[in-house]
Amino acid sequence: MSARTSGPGRKTLASVERLSFRYPDSARAAVRDVTLEVGEGEVVLLAGPSGCGKSTLLRCINGLIPHMYHGEYQGRVVVGGLEVAKTPMSTLSENVGFLFQNPENQIFMFSVERDVAFGLQNLSVPREEMRTRVDEAMRLLGVSNLATRAPHELSDGQKQRTALAGVVAMRPRLVILDEPTSLLDPKTALEVAELIGRLNRELGITFIIVEHRLELLVPLAHRLVVMEGGSKVLDGAPEEVLSDPRVESYGVNVPPISRLYTSLARDGIRLPRNPSTPEELAQEINDL
Amino acid sequence: MYWLSGGFVFKRVVSPFNRLDPRVRLLIAAEFFLLSLMAQTIWQIVLLVGAILAISAVARSLRRIGRAVAFSGVFALFIFGVNFVLGLGLLHAILYAARFLAIISSTSVFFVTTSPDELEQIMKWMGFPRDVVFAFVTAVRFIPVVMLDASQIMDAQKSRGLEFEKGSLLKRAKNLVPILVPLVVNSVVRSGELAEAMESRAYGSTPRPTSLYAMRATWYDWAACVLSLALATAAGLYIYHHFPFG
Ligand SMILES: Nc1ncnc2c1ncn2[C@@H]1O[C@H](COP(=O)(O)OP(=O)(O)OP(=O)(O)O)[C@@H](O)[C@H]1O
Ligand SMILES: [Mg+2]
Repeated sequence: MSARTSGPGRKTLASVERLSFRYPDSARAAVRDVTLEVGEGEVVLLAGPSGCGKSTLLRCINGLIPHMYHGEYQGRVVVGGLEVAKTPMSTLSENVGFLFQNPENQIFMFSVERDVAFGLQNLSVPREEMRTRVDEAMRLLGVSNLATRAPHELSDGQKQRTALAGVVAMRPRLVILDEPTSLLDPKTALEVAELIGRLNRELGITFIIVEHRLELLVPLAHRLVVMEGGSKVLDGAPEEVLSDPRVESYGVNVPPISRLYTSLARDGIRLPRNPSTPEELAQEINDL
Repeated sequence: MYWLSGGFVFKRVVSPFNRLDPRVRLLIAAEFFLLSLMAQTIWQIVLLVGAILAISAVARSLRRIGRAVAFSGVFALFIFGVNFVLGLGLLHAILYAARFLAIISSTSVFFVTTSPDELEQIMKWMGFPRDVVFAFVTAVRFIPVVMLDASQIMDAQKSRGLEFEKGSLLKRAKNLVPILVPLVVNSVVRSGELAEAMESRAYGSTPRPTSLYAMRATWYDWAACVLSLALATAAGLYIYHHFPFG
């Protein structure tokens, strides 16, 4: 359990300070006055209804905003000591990795290993070093045996793992995932979730993850942030946020386990904490 | 259609020819291409095609290259017909049609034995701008994706009652609109997402990106290079000597 406790003592890796952003052709800001600190090694889940600005906030953290998307930008984002708006994308890409929803549209090359090498090629990493880093990333993500496969010969899960290997090969300290499992079947989604947990524990990679299937990722998250209408409305340990009476009104899919916990509490049965897995729930009931 | 197009699509094979550096394969294909253009008699062409087919046999791709030849047979007939009707004489009409087949088979030998990866490396080696090479790479990479996309859209529209195979030519052409529109929309969305992903992985951050693979010519490649150049030059001189142009 201790691995999941968030809190003080963590060094700040990314900080968003009073950030607002409006796309040029829209009337209202997509992100409004958001302040957020992410600690080194933390796994932060970001939830909220469709169109609330989650993807926009992620783009601001990895630099796609304001480097690729121009618009009305206010506030400041700092990642690993670099001010995002003033740092070129190439430098940012070594610090922040971004995994998108559709694996198909982030694999460029004809083979898995070439694709994993894509970012390193762009950074002019020498060939020997590239080979080592590509092999290492493929091993971590379990795609070494697919090294020479073409993208159209891969399953969706294998594609997503390949894309993640390409991100990990660049050795970023922070990895951003925008609905990484929403196009995957439940079993494959669970595999990807487990991989994220492993990368966090073994390499200490920090994650910010937008995901609708919360039950998949709550077990490995340190924090849950909820947005609505471009603003941050809830922020705290997942247990706390999920027991907040307002959470469902923000369109968050509260995992069944958490819902059970809340309704037990309403009926006067107070478990010590909001469990994130059936095993935890069983343990807590046992301990009563 | 799919069967025929196999004549130009790469397949991974291990053979003495496939082992050659892709640049040497390109050179050999180019030599045959040029000789086919130069050849003045049907016998010369027959010899050239024979040599190309022998190479295809070594490359264990005789069947696939045969498909390319079968595919272009229709066009060859057309070329024959046009030349014959224009009154160039039977012999010339046959020569032009045969020459066309020789050109196709020499091109096919190269494409069947060369992976998209190798094509990319050759383009880089030839000094094409990085963006051009990358555009080529993504175009080839997304061919299967867009094909799948198209067939899924077709199925979806069919299930809504759209009939493609009925009606006049004009009606059929109109029927393509409900397929093309979503296909184009999908591709636009896709290219936006690709641009974001490229940008996030440092595309364009250096003018000279490195590469995971290197093309390295060995003695084997050099030997093949010298031998093929010598043979091609000899053949070229022979043709020129006996049948000076003009
Ligand atoms: N490229 C863009 N140009 C203009 N407006 C945009 C663009 N992308 C998003 N928006 C708008 O910004 C707002 C926030 O969108 P965003 O994609 O950040 O939401 P989201 O929380 O990620 O939603 P979803 O859960 O559907 O992915 C929306 O109103 C959306 O219409
Ligand atoms: Mg989004």
